[in-house]
Amino acid sequence: MENTNYAIETNNLSIHYGNFTAVKGVNMKVERQKITAIIGPSGCGKSTLLRAFNRMNDFVPSCHVTGELLLDNQNLYGKNVDPVEVRRKIGMVFQKPNPFPKSIYENIAWGARINGFKGKMDELVEQSLRSAALWDEVKDKLQQSAYALSGGQQQRLCIARTIAIQPEIILMDEPASALDPISTLRIEELMQELKKNYTILIVTHNMQQAARASDYTAMMMIDDQRAGGVIEFDDTKAIFTRPKDKRTEDYVTGRFG
Amino acid sequence: MIRKTFESDIQQVKDEVLLLGSMVEHAIIGSVDALKKRDIKAAEKIIAEDKEINKKRFAIENQLMILIATQQPMAHDLRLLASTMEIISELERMGDYAKGIANINVRMGDEKLLKPLIDVPRMAQKGADMLHRALTAFVQEDVATAQALPIEDDEVDALYNQIYRELMIFVIEDPKNIERANWLLWVAHNLERFSDRVTNICERTIFIATGEFGEIKSSDDEFWKNQKK
Amino acid sequence: MNTPNTLPYPQGNAFYSTLRKRYLTATIWQSLFLGSLLIAIIVLMALIYNVIDGAFGYIAYEYKNSPSEFTATAPNELTKEELLVILKDNLSRGAYNKLDEEQTMETRSQSDLLNLFFERLVRLDTKQTWSMTESLSKGAEIQAEVAEKYPDAVLEFRSWLTPQFLTAPMSSRAEFAGVRTAVLGSLWLVGIAIAFALPIGTGAAIYLQEYAPKNWFTSIVQTNINNLAGVPSIVYGMLGLAVFVRVMESFTSGAMFGVTDSNGRTILSAGLTMGILVLPLIIINAQEAIKAVPDSLRQAAFGVGATRWQTIWHHVLPNALPGIMTGSILALSRALGETAPLIVVGASTFISLDPDGPFSKFTALPIQIYQWTTRAQSEFHAIAASAIIVLLILLLTLNATAILLRNRFQRRW
Repeated sequence: MENTNYAIETNNLSIHYGNFTAVKGVNMKVERQKITAIIGPSGCGKSTLLRAFNRMNDFVPSCHVTGELLLDNQNLYGKNVDPVEVRRKIGMVFQKPNPFPKSIYENIAWGARINGFKGKMDELVEQSLRSAALWDEVKDKLQQSAYALSGGQQQRLCIARTIAIQPEIILMDEPASALDPISTLRIEELMQELKKNYTILIVTHNMQQAARASDYTAMMMIDDQRAGGVIEFDDTKAIFTRPKDKRTEDYVTGRFG
Repeated sequence: MIRKTFESDIQQVKDEVLLLGSMVEHAIIGSVDALKKRDIKAAEKIIAEDKEINKKRFAIENQLMILIATQQPMAHDLRLLASTMEIISELERMGDYAKGIANINVRMGDEKLLKPLIDVPRMAQKGADMLHRALTAFVQEDVATAQALPIEDDEVDALYNQIYRELMIFVIEDPKNIERANWLLWVAHNLERFSDRVTNICERTIFIATGEFGEIKSSDDEFWKNQKK
Repeated sequence: MNTPNTLPYPQGNAFYSTLRKRYLTATIWQSLFLGSLLIAIIVLMALIYNVIDGAFGYIAYEYKNSPSEFTATAPNELTKEELLVILKDNLSRGAYNKLDEEQTMETRSQSDLLNLFFERLVRLDTKQTWSMTESLSKGAEIQAEVAEKYPDAVLEFRSWLTPQFLTAPMSSRAEFAGVRTAVLGSLWLVGIAIAFALPIGTGAAIYLQEYAPKNWFTSIVQTNINNLAGVPSIVYGMLGLAVFVRVMESFTSGAMFGVTDSNGRTILSAGLTMGILVLPLIIINAQEAIKAVPDSLRQAAFGVGATRWQTIWHHVLPNALPGIMTGSILALSRALGETAPLIVVGASTFISLDPDGPFSKFTALPIQIYQWTTRAQSEFHAIAASAIIVLLILLLTLNATAILLRNRFQRRW
């Protein structure tokens, strides 16, 4: 089957707040086990689009979505789809590291437990922390508060927490914007490891990060009705060396506006 | 290592540069060998293969550009990528010298060589050897080797001077030899320039490792100084 | 300096003169703020002084009968059994039976019996009391006055706030009266109020913050809750009277549960009224506490596939709990000080029986204080002052608990 290369697809996906259309007509095919970055100027709706992928926008009153979001040929905005199930399949890492105010161990175990995990919890915790390249740093203090960790470690803990529930896709909403450059690079390197098993979709306002860390890049821009849309979606190398759209060129060269 | 991916990308570029270097080595030895044997077919093959060298050079250049565009190299990484850009252009020019020798071979047609080639293959061998070691030094960022190599260029220059004088004798003996001597002088000149460019590669290697620019020794100047005497 | 003189800002001396003006204005405002603070401190000190002034001081009293008429030993050294015998022998049968009916004599404590001994047999008669200030500044004059006016009287400097004051029940004589009944009544009230208002208030707050859609209905409800918090307490008293005392009498009197000897004016009615009174406060406080739980935490929970209920139960509530508790305790300290609704609901002004269940008649500290201050005799004013100190200490304890709870469980985000 041809579409097995794609982890998730959008089909004319639009996101509206009341009468206002925030994101308009997005058609994206996100390739499996690749990192796809969404870039664009502030307010172009990139976070809104990302949050549509695991129905986080459901919590915003007045927000509604039209078009289709297809995971395994199933529209995640279909009538019979439970958003909780969507979020189990499509995990999310947020802008600011937001570990639970619990121990490092509990941070990972909680998500597994509420999703009815039946395996050995200790193994899951260790394996998740190893996958997030955090195990060696925290193995001796699993019962300590997650808040005792540094910002970068907290963010990797959040990533470990997300992969513990074994999602198909990981969404990352500016995962490094609150971190120092070294922690940022660490997270990017971790993403390269993670993409061997997961499909990653990342929003970043830092286009260098998109350039460094992603395989594909979607460029978003608002039109004259202030609705955001994807204006160019291509191989990251192409976007940063020979973009086709003049607006992409202006943005990546810092000449936007 | 935090930037494992970037590191492996850089390693890949270095491997590509080595590959390009070996193509150039092969071309320079091959072109002289073909000339020695007056094998026009082999010379034509060298000319065709130069296109591959050029292609390879553009491929590496593109790779470098993508790395610069996407990885925001700084300091050592920046020096490395920018200098590699310079080095591959040197390599391409060195490939052109091999092509030039092959061209001379083709243009000589049925004409016999003025004299059997002894020092010319030696020059080629020396140049190829220097190139090989220069690129190894580049990959390993071996400053000591990079500083030592340009001195060996003197041997090549000496061979060139010797060939020059021999050819002059032939010309003085019989002015009809001018054309055939000229072919060989061109060949020797190309080989002399070939090893000069190895010096440029070494300079880049030193710059990558230390951040210092500097001409190590201009063998060109030496040559012209010798001529005045 | 090569700054051009055409800059639209004052330069040199002109600059310093405007700077002086700015500092002057700042100093004036700063003094005004300091003045406000000083006034507040003075008022507070005056309040505390006033209360303490009343609670200590000289008292001149006489014995109607000498203790030696009843016993050879010093009254303080009498055992419980000896006191029982003395009381039985010397009190009239009717008076003894009445006391026995209130609380079986044998179950009373030694100090309780000793009080009865002084109250009923020796019969202390207070002639006059003085405030602390008077006692300290005019000691000699008071002594002279007492010697002249009441030659038989004993003059002593007395603290009206004694352990006995805390443990003794109500009495018609100020010297023997205590606040035990009132304190117990207040604690019962507060307990019932919290048991009623905390779950309901927290529940309402959770619904409003976490579930309710943002529409006109929710905002009307929200506005009304905010307004209810400002409604005069007497109105809640009227409500309690109408609903708990009258309409729900069979429940609040305990008739439903087989209790027969009471009407609707029980501690339960009053506690529920107090509960309703503090409900808006608890809802608002709980809402604030829930609001203070950062959204990032909810998103984190939702992000790993939690349902809304799991998110609330495992994350929002535990993290809001210190805030909810602090708010509730502060709401309760308001309930502890309320008088008006209790009077309307029907607090007893004189009751010497400890409340023993939700269907008892009751009194509360503020009621007791109010009642004592309305009495003409100065010794009642003295015990009212002592009761105020007890009330203040109770309030301070509650507030301190609130602060301790907050500091102990406060989370850093």
